[in-house]
Amino acid sequence: MDDLLLIIGGPQGSGLETSAIVLTRAFGEKGYNVVADREYHSNIRGRHSYTHMRISVDERYSLAFPVDLFVGMSVESVFTHFMDISENGYFVVDTAFLEQRIDRIVSMEPSVKRRLRKQMQELGVGDRVEDILRFLENRGVNTIKLSYVGYLRMLAKKYDISPRRISRYMSGIAIAVVAALTGIDLESVVDGLRARLSGREELVEHNRYLIERVMDYIQGSYGSPLKLDPPKKLKNEVLVVTGNEAVAIGKILGGLRVQTYYPITPAADESLYLEEKMLLKANSKNLGGIVVFQTEDEIAAITAAIGAALAGARASTTTSGPGFSLMVEGFGWAGINEVPIVVTYYQRGGPSTGMPTRGAQSDLFFALYAGHGEFARIVLSSGDHMEALIDAVDAFNFAERFQVPVIHLLDKFIANSTATVPIPDLSKIRIERGSIVEGGVDYKRFSKDSIVSPRAKLGSNSIMWYTGDEHDEYGHISEDPVNRIEMYEKRIRKMELIDREIPDAKKAVLYGDKNPNIVLIGWGYTKCPAIDAIRKLEDKYSIAYLHIKLLAPLPSSLIRGILREDRILIGVEHSYEVQIASLIRMKSGIHIPHLVAKYTGRPIYENELVDAVERIVENKEKRVVLSYGE
Amino acid sequence: MESRNHRWKTDLWIDWCPGCGNFGILTAEVEAFKELGLDPTKTVIVSGIGCSAKIAHYINANGVHTLHGRAIPFAMGIKLANPNLVVVVNGGDGDLLGIGMGHFVALGRRNLDIVIILHNNGVYGLTKGQASPTLRRGIKTKALTKPNIQDAVNPIAVALASGYTFVARSYAFDIEHLKEIIKKAIQHRGSALIDVLQPCVAYNNVYTKEFYEKRIYKLEETPDWDPIVKEPDPEEVEEKVSKAWIKAMEWEEKIPIGIFYWNPHVDSFEERIKAEIPEYLANPPAIQEISDKEGRSIIDLEAFRVLFSKKIIHIKKNFQN
Repeated sequence: MDDLLLIIGGPQGSGLETSAIVLTRAFGEKGYNVVADREYHSNIRGRHSYTHMRISVDERYSLAFPVDLFVGMSVESVFTHFMDISENGYFVVDTAFLEQRIDRIVSMEPSVKRRLRKQMQELGVGDRVEDILRFLENRGVNTIKLSYVGYLRMLAKKYDISPRRISRYMSGIAIAVVAALTGIDLESVVDGLRARLSGREELVEHNRYLIERVMDYIQGSYGSPLKLDPPKKLKNEVLVVTGNEAVAIGKILGGLRVQTYYPITPAADESLYLEEKMLLKANSKNLGGIVVFQTEDEIAAITAAIGAALAGARASTTTSGPGFSLMVEGFGWAGINEVPIVVTYYQRGGPSTGMPTRGAQSDLFFALYAGHGEFARIVLSSGDHMEALIDAVDAFNFAERFQVPVIHLLDKFIANSTATVPIPDLSKIRIERGSIVEGGVDYKRFSKDSIVSPRAKLGSNSIMWYTGDEHDEYGHISEDPVNRIEMYEKRIRKMELIDREIPDAKKAVLYGDKNPNIVLIGWGYTKCPAIDAIRKLEDKYSIAYLHIKLLAPLPSSLIRGILREDRILIGVEHSYEVQIASLIRMKSGIHIPHLVAKYTGRPIYENELVDAVERIVENKEKRVVLSYGE
Repeated sequence: MESRNHRWKTDLWIDWCPGCGNFGILTAEVEAFKELGLDPTKTVIVSGIGCSAKIAHYINANGVHTLHGRAIPFAMGIKLANPNLVVVVNGGDGDLLGIGMGHFVALGRRNLDIVIILHNNGVYGLTKGQASPTLRRGIKTKALTKPNIQDAVNPIAVALASGYTFVARSYAFDIEHLKEIIKKAIQHRGSALIDVLQPCVAYNNVYTKEFYEKRIYKLEETPDWDPIVKEPDPEEVEEKVSKAWIKAMEWEEKIPIGIFYWNPHVDSFEERIKAEIPEYLANPPAIQEISDKEGRSIIDLEAFRVLFSKKIIHIKKNFQN
């Protein structure tokens, strides 16, 4: 086996995250490539959530269905995921679930329940968990019934743990099942536990005991049928990070000194991680300090970040759609005042509160055009964790070199998923701050001598003014029409400068066949399923994926060179409109006739995209809407 | 830069109405800067939107003329990045207490070392005289079509409730009094509010020069008035805040100006950050080196391994599976 997919499903707050982190580390330590996504409701405890993992012998980026292994930690998860299991897969439940019926599940949304019941009736499945298992067994699925409570009792007895505290060990059962069936050794699991439960050796010991018991039983009865082949290439070390953490690490490398934020999903974890790193101290070396500032709202978050940038610190703020909606006025101020700030923007399902914990790419046009008036901005997007890390450095470099606000556009899919990525090559990372001067007497902050005026920090030896009004070279209000033209053009023409100076490799990248018949076009997280899908299809088609990273200014001529009319062009996006296709048409005149759209808030899965491409190529379908996943 | 010989006003023509209270505030403010010997390159005036906000352009020190209601968070960002700068916010009552009230309250909670000079004239002047949050209910200034039906907020009371550690009021045309209060506010380490009563000659025909000059009296001339907290003692704080609150309620017959409350014993936000980052004040974020001469990040591979050790997995090469 070279590629394993699994789901662990259970209520929010039941330790799924612990299971995912421990397993990711355990597989990572063996050298496997791991991607783990968290699907969850906007809720603290009780609603259905699941971890969807992919473990492979070489680089895979996306998730896919069906899965080879399902571990049910709740009755609801059994009904939710029974159709997600592959025909020879392993489906693991608690013996206590067997008599439970779907209509008794209070946490399941009524419409989901109705839909599942209808599906079960059509399949001729009864409404108990036992019926589900029988149905699956008839399809060739291997079912495993395990008394979770029995193992927990054994643990409680051994270490005299009170019944009230025993439920916190549930995650150990899921970890043990996965480790046993995939043949991961206990020591790797314990290493993962130790990292997760840092310092709490007692908990590690308890978990170890529990996991060992469960593993012994599973391996004794079933062996390790889901054993993976050895990894293709063994690195010495890898980073295991969420997208939020990858960005935070990139920002730290890139010299972030002031981060502002107001808590919002799915962005807040980035700032939380930065709060752990306020004091940059390595061994005895003092490398500075980062002020992480939790503000009263997003308006304060962006305006405080702007203030920090005026004083000369590399400053950024982090948010998602609702927060950026509040930031727009401040963003425009940064535009007219040519302030180098970075807004890290993790898209989630909109409009309004939308689906706070689900992903989307439907804010592309918002990011491109937010704010009244016309001004230069950079919108830079990342397609995976490694890109997110490197782009976080580039975002600061671009902001300061060109003195424009930069939006680093990401999404929930990247933010909340965990992946194993290589240690970044630090020798290739450079800090480029552009023109920073002391200023001196008669300093003109907005000197018209160059498009990008030499920038002095507030507090340098000069005096300067900033204003949201149109202004003269000193930064004083001016409504003179001649000055207006000069200042307006100075600002807007930065877009041409940026287009000239940013290297092509940072604008867009073509993956797959260099002379393809079929080109998928996308940006952001779309890269992950697209790269995996073209790999699946490369024996069958001449196919490539055009990954656009720089969305403003859009590299139109580069795009025109690739999106030729004799090629089958397919736009792919997590939105209804597939805004990237509209944008390309608007900016380069190229019509992308085929669209693949998904707007359920769940990621595009490899298998879905493979099917969609086949439908488009074989049946000439214009638009394929994807909907897989609960 | 030499402060005393510095020309503290710019050459710009000042476009406030003749007789505007802003002139008094401008004069008192620059005189205070001069007397304190501030360096104009290390001083930043942050203003919002409105007539008062233009003051940032009229003072010959760094000026950041921001957005309506947002001067405080801009100022907080500047101060956090470089706590060695003197940061003064000038804003109107509509700006700071209407659209920007959330920030006004939040600053008090933090006790960040910023001085707020509130140009309080009871109206939105630049949009032609609508009622502001400090205009009392039942009052009809000349641009209103009918008497105001919203109650006023009390800036002194809000500041006390929010945690400001220096709370004072002055009057735009008592330049000497205002100047002295501004000097004390700047010397105070923590969040300071100066509520400046200011006639608007164009739109406020109720709170006029005559109105104020008939009612105003000075707290410092009141026997036994002592607004300063002597010890970091919760009981003394409670007593001083309570007395200040009672004074803040006076309005119709007599209006007190002067220092209502002054507590120098509360940690400033900068000190709270310093507890986390010891070199914060000596080497503030705005001026820290972030790269070497070749542009390499100061986080080298060795530092990277230490800082992110919890995220790094060492792969076990003796593979058995």
